[in-house]
Amino acid sequence: MRKKNIETLAVPMSSMIDVVFQLLIYFIVTQREEVTEAHLAVNLPAPGAAKASENKPKMLELEVHPGVLLIQGAQRDVNEIGDMLVAFGQRDKDMTVMVKVAMDSFATDLVTALDLCDKAGLKNLNVVTLR
Amino acid sequence: MKQRADDTLETPITSMIDIVFQLIIFFVVTASIDKDVQDEAIHLAQAKSAPAVETVDPRSVTINLRKDGEINIALMPMSPQQLYNFLVSMRTKGGNSIPILIRCDAKTKYKDIDKVMQATAKAGLFRVRIVAMLDE
Repeated sequence: MRKKNIETLAVPMSSMIDVVFQLLIYFIVTQREEVTEAHLAVNLPAPGAAKASENKPKMLELEVHPGVLLIQGAQRDVNEIGDMLVAFGQRDKDMTVMVKVAMDSFATDLVTALDLCDKAGLKNLNVVTLR
Repeated sequence: MKQRADDTLETPITSMIDIVFQLIIFFVVTASIDKDVQDEAIHLAQAKSAPAVETVDPRSVTINLRKDGEINIALMPMSPQQLYNFLVSMRTKGGNSIPILIRCDAKTKYKDIDKVMQATAKAGLFRVRIVAMLDE
């Protein structure tokens, strides 16, 4: 008589669950929040210092209007203004940039101007309202 | 006589319950109340070349400014006068080096941003930053 031995292969699941929990704990502990924000510094003119800063030599004027930027009174394309600011920044990183913003501008226009100044390495910014 | 041994594979659940409790305790202990509640209604303007923020000063005050001009701090609406009073109290507690972060919507009008900046300048706080989204 021939006996048939049917062997059932069973995968031991209990160890696999432990490994899954280990991986879960590893990813939870090593998770890092991705930073997606930038903080653009704005120097507000201190009371009484506005006039003094306007008379300071080596100052660059950047005007912000809705959808339009002007540098030293001349309207230019955003890329051109970026290149000009980089050139100014290379000449003098400590140059003061007076950012004059029109009341009807939007936040995105202001952020574009500040971003261009940051790219050029110009940190001395004064944001004032264009009246 | 043939004896059949029915081997039923059972996964030991008791250890798994212990692991689940461990995880619950971990999350309860590490959970922290986020004091800088972000206003989801604000869609930040994009900055193409500014660097990402490395560390945020824990003393910083985040002022949310929606596109309709509504000011709120941690989702608590404020008028410009209330904002000024709040900033004065923060300055009294923490000094004038407290960073102010203005999270404004891309479509917020500058006149509303100006109101906030006027309030911060009047309160004697000059470390103001505009928060922008990084361009990915």
